[in-house]
Amino acid sequence: MQSESSKDITDYYKHLSLFWTDIIHLMSSKPQALASIGPMRAFAANSKKISTELIEINEDLMEFNKHLTEYYKQLADTWTDAQKKVNLKAPEIPHDIEQIEAVKRIWIDIFDNDFTELFDSGKFGDNYGKLVSKELELTKHWNNITNVILQSVNLPSKEEIDEVYKEMHSLKKRVGKLELELKKREMKKNAE
Amino acid sequence: MQSESKVDPKIIEAILKFGKNVIEAPKLVSAPDEISLEVTPHDIVQQMDKTRLLHYKPFTEKQHKTPLLISYALINRFHILDIQPEKSWVRNLLEQGFDIYMLDWGTPTSMDKYLDFDDYVNGYLDTYVEYIKNESSTEKISLQGYCTGATIATTYASLHPESVKNYIATAPVIDGWRDTTVISNLAKHMDVDKMVETIGNMPPEFMYYAFSVLKPFEQGIEKYVNFFKNIENKKFVDSFLRVEKWLGDTPPIPGELFKQWIKDIYQDNLLIQNKMYIEGQLVDLKKIDMPIFTQVAVGDHLVSPECSMPLHYAVGSEDKTLRMYPTGHVGMIASSLSQKKVLPELGQWLAERS
Repeated sequence: MQSESSKDITDYYKHLSLFWTDIIHLMSSKPQALASIGPMRAFAANSKKISTELIEINEDLMEFNKHLTEYYKQLADTWTDAQKKVNLKAPEIPHDIEQIEAVKRIWIDIFDNDFTELFDSGKFGDNYGKLVSKELELTKHWNNITNVILQSVNLPSKEEIDEVYKEMHSLKKRVGKLELELKKREMKKNAE
Repeated sequence: MQSESKVDPKIIEAILKFGKNVIEAPKLVSAPDEISLEVTPHDIVQQMDKTRLLHYKPFTEKQHKTPLLISYALINRFHILDIQPEKSWVRNLLEQGFDIYMLDWGTPTSMDKYLDFDDYVNGYLDTYVEYIKNESSTEKISLQGYCTGATIATTYASLHPESVKNYIATAPVIDGWRDTTVISNLAKHMDVDKMVETIGNMPPEFMYYAFSVLKPFEQGIEKYVNFFKNIENKKFVDSFLRVEKWLGDTPPIPGELFKQWIKDIYQDNLLIQNKMYIEGQLVDLKKIDMPIFTQVAVGDHLVSPECSMPLHYAVGSEDKTLRMYPTGHVGMIASSLSQKKVLPELGQWLAERS
């Protein structure tokens, strides 16, 4: 119930922000177009995208922080448990080199075992996967904001560059296949 | 009067010695950047996009007839197979009279994000195999794949069995669902579509993260303490720095290739079920009918034995050998054990079939 009501509040504020962003953009688009010159003309026309991205970044940032907190909590809990195990196994303060080496070995073995167990676990994999996914969402928003800036100076966006890469890749494949076909024909011809 | 606490003078001595070693380290050893990892003499005989084909100069007057092409992993670089003369996989095989080629996958950039399994298997690998067949006037070659390079080599052996005389799979990544390593746990939970869509290629930083969760305390602290402790031991330091340099240099993996690899191997496990497709062609492991030698390391924490061994049972070959070694992923290819046990066994097996 609690989370549902907090989601309602988030949705409400997101709607509120988007509403005013849209209205202000509509109201200011003509004066902006009239006042802006050079690259700022394109920037002014697309500035709404930046506001929208920033609103969505806030939403994703909340989720990202949730998973980041869980990530550090898992690390901290594992550290605490491992240290407790070390304390039980090596309660004495070491007095000579051999004892220091022995305590160090126990410490490393227990910490490596406990942390490997954590990294192997489903709960770690699940949270880490979601953390990276949210990190990528944030990167995507940053990409979109950068695209607006790139377009304002008439530079290609990431998507446009990707299109070129895709086309080049596909062309290379086609040329490769044609070359192979020609080679086969040549070999056949030589055999005849 | 409080009793005086006694500190073993040896502890003070050890701390002072360690401090002295840290200060003197730059005078005694080279910086990693100053070390060249290209050890054994070779020629670059072919290049295709960013990939290269290396041909090692022979060590013996007479050589076995069938050349061997090594398909190295997509993670880090091929240098680990030739990291230093006394631990070199390549040098050992050259000394046994084999004609060795190495495939260097190079460093993909953003424009290579659409390279996929088809480009690697039917493009680069097949082109180089054809080149070697032509150069050595043989109809078939021997192929070795290591780690993820063995995943690519395995699919190649299935799709082009007519070109492969012998296949050696060294720690191959085959059965993702059986893999018990930390890497497979991370891979199974990865939103790989979003990653490729957002950042294109799989960046090296993700690989460095994956390395950091493997025995973090032994690998992250203890080994560096040992490095400074042994700073006067030239042999140890040289070996340490070479491996460290190799570990710290991994190229990005092309986005589309990485996506299919994560999905088809780790998430959906299609390869071992004979359900994986490359450009519309089914990869059927039963079509691997040539002699096959599978090498597995019992202590492998990057590709667990459970992930590699199923290949031995899945192929259609009648002449097949499975060897397990009491070492780790890197220990199997670059250690004294590999020189004394792994390579002599492989050499004997390969010589009988070359």
